[in-house]
Amino acid sequence: MKTTFDKLKKSNLMGTFSIYFVLLALFLISMMANENFATVGNLSNISRQIAVGTILAFGQTILIINGMLDLSSGSVLALAGVLSVDAYLKTGSLLISFIVGIGVAVFCNILNGLMVTKFKTPPFIATLAMMAMARGAALLYTNGQNIYQIGDYIVFGQGSFIGIPNPVWFLIITMAITWYLLNHTTFGRSVYAIGGNEEAANASGINVNKIKMRSYIINGIFVGLAGIIFMSRVNGGLPNGAGGYEFKALTAAVIGGTSFSGGVGTASGTLAGAFIVGFLDNIMVLVGVNSYLQQIVRGAIIALAVIYDIYFKTTRKKLKASKG
Amino acid sequence: MKKVLALLLVLMLAVGMLAGCSTPSAETTEAAAETTAAVAGESDGTYRVAYIARAQADSFAAWLANAVMEEADKYDDITVDVFDGQANDDTENALIENAITNKYDAIIVQPNNGEAQRPYVEKAVAAGIVTITTNARISGIEGASSVDADPYLQAKVNADAAVEQIPQGANVVVLKGPPGNFHADARRESWENEFFAKRPDVKIVGEEIANWNKDEAMNYMETWVQANDKIDAIIAMNDNMAAGALEVIKDNPNFANILSYGVDGTAEAVLLIKDGKMTSTSLQSAYALAEALLSTSHKLLTGEETQIDIDIDCPLITIDNVDEFIEMHKKAGAIQ
Repeated sequence: MKTTFDKLKKSNLMGTFSIYFVLLALFLISMMANENFATVGNLSNISRQIAVGTILAFGQTILIINGMLDLSSGSVLALAGVLSVDAYLKTGSLLISFIVGIGVAVFCNILNGLMVTKFKTPPFIATLAMMAMARGAALLYTNGQNIYQIGDYIVFGQGSFIGIPNPVWFLIITMAITWYLLNHTTFGRSVYAIGGNEEAANASGINVNKIKMRSYIINGIFVGLAGIIFMSRVNGGLPNGAGGYEFKALTAAVIGGTSFSGGVGTASGTLAGAFIVGFLDNIMVLVGVNSYLQQIVRGAIIALAVIYDIYFKTTRKKLKASKG
Repeated sequence: MKKVLALLLVLMLAVGMLAGCSTPSAETTEAAAETTAAVAGESDGTYRVAYIARAQADSFAAWLANAVMEEADKYDDITVDVFDGQANDDTENALIENAITNKYDAIIVQPNNGEAQRPYVEKAVAAGIVTITTNARISGIEGASSVDADPYLQAKVNADAAVEQIPQGANVVVLKGPPGNFHADARRESWENEFFAKRPDVKIVGEEIANWNKDEAMNYMETWVQANDKIDAIIAMNDNMAAGALEVIKDNPNFANILSYGVDGTAEAVLLIKDGKMTSTSLQSAYALAEALLSTSHKLLTGEETQIDIDIDCPLITIDNVDEFIEMHKKAGAIQ
């Protein structure tokens, strides 16, 4: 038994695909625990429920690989979403409201990027500041009140196209963009290089600031999109909505194997991480687990995922060292 | 070049914020003007009142704070400054201490957590300041007054109706507010005593904490709909959560006859009742609370009375009387 495990470790199979094993195991256990889990309706629900958080998580993944992060995404989501809803009510144009939503979030992220690249503010502090400013702006603009009667705006989050809910389409598109950017572009290679060793990346001729700024802009596009879907889904403009979503997004990325030490992470890993959390939340409600216990389980899963990640990373390093 | 761009962007944000918010922030400017007036008018007998809100990010608390400011305009001899407790006990306690130090004539506290604010409210009383607690009241402080809506009663008026309306052997789901919150706990307790105790035939097929939030309630309802072919009623401790659950099943013919109950009487809920989608809610009127708060403050400040404890009414809103509440929200601009 032990030898098989050692072999697995040596083959690195567990290290590379570990997260998908966890996902599969969770799926099978959930399926056995409740007959309603593996139904098309329920799986479609889970996909819709995780869409907003996961789109944010793709932005976080790119940033974390780069050695940065975004604590403002929940607040910027609310600001962009509220202004987008308001633009729709004022103009009656879905296109304009869409552009406003994306534009506001990109603008906030350009400010994030400027703070980080020009003024050398640590991303944690820069985006923490933006978190407060964006939430304040959303509340100030609406006077703390929800906007109702948003009409056809709900098509973004509640409509569907050839049988698949629109939020899931957006999820698939952002996943594809993230995967393509990270794996098939110079931008992607630069992102990994900067996260791996910023000085070395700089020395090899990568314009570090430019890549970082672009990462924030891409993050902004995703956050704006998430804001539009969120407000549409809840059928209202909620200035205090999506509180804590930045941590939901960070959780999905970290469980999915994105490392806070930088240089490591994938789009598919993040998607798997999001589904692990989504499955877990769903099955606990289906089975009727005590609400307080649910929080403990969620926390424990994060801790386990990170311990697991670090464990396999160190064994890999040891392996490399022994080979070298 | 890039530096210029950076400056430009910062400038744009500043301008954008000012321009974009000029209309809705009129009250903020007024509040600022009032503060100046308060300092200037102290000698001519104007009373300064500090209103310490639980959290301006909480939509009911924000509604109440706005209502208090509007109501204060009706009094020539009272100016109100609003402070934001940011849903944080520590922040709220510090604001109470600051208000004592700044020698306000009256302090109104909307606690984040009654027990955490109790010693600070006692300090305000000890400093000889007129002190009022509201939504929810902190009871049993000698010398402090209170204005509140009774959360037990708010849920009870709905529960009484539900005892008659919910069918025999029904499956229901329950959406709760944050644990430890006075209103969340009292409303749930009221449903327990006034409904579930009287209707042992009713089965709870799902009960979760959705923290007053619409999006969290939606997620739970989506899952419950998967697990249950039959849900007869949604019992929510506030309107936001009831509206979230209804959002999930609005186009689902299997749940066309579902009953749903909330509390607060928000603009969204009265519209849902008007459309026949929601069964009932009870009004927790920020206007009525604000009116009572200001009249209570005035009576206490002028020495007309020394202690007042009152509860505002919590009328049940159903399809039969919803129009008058739609009118109320229209006047306030919450419904177009």
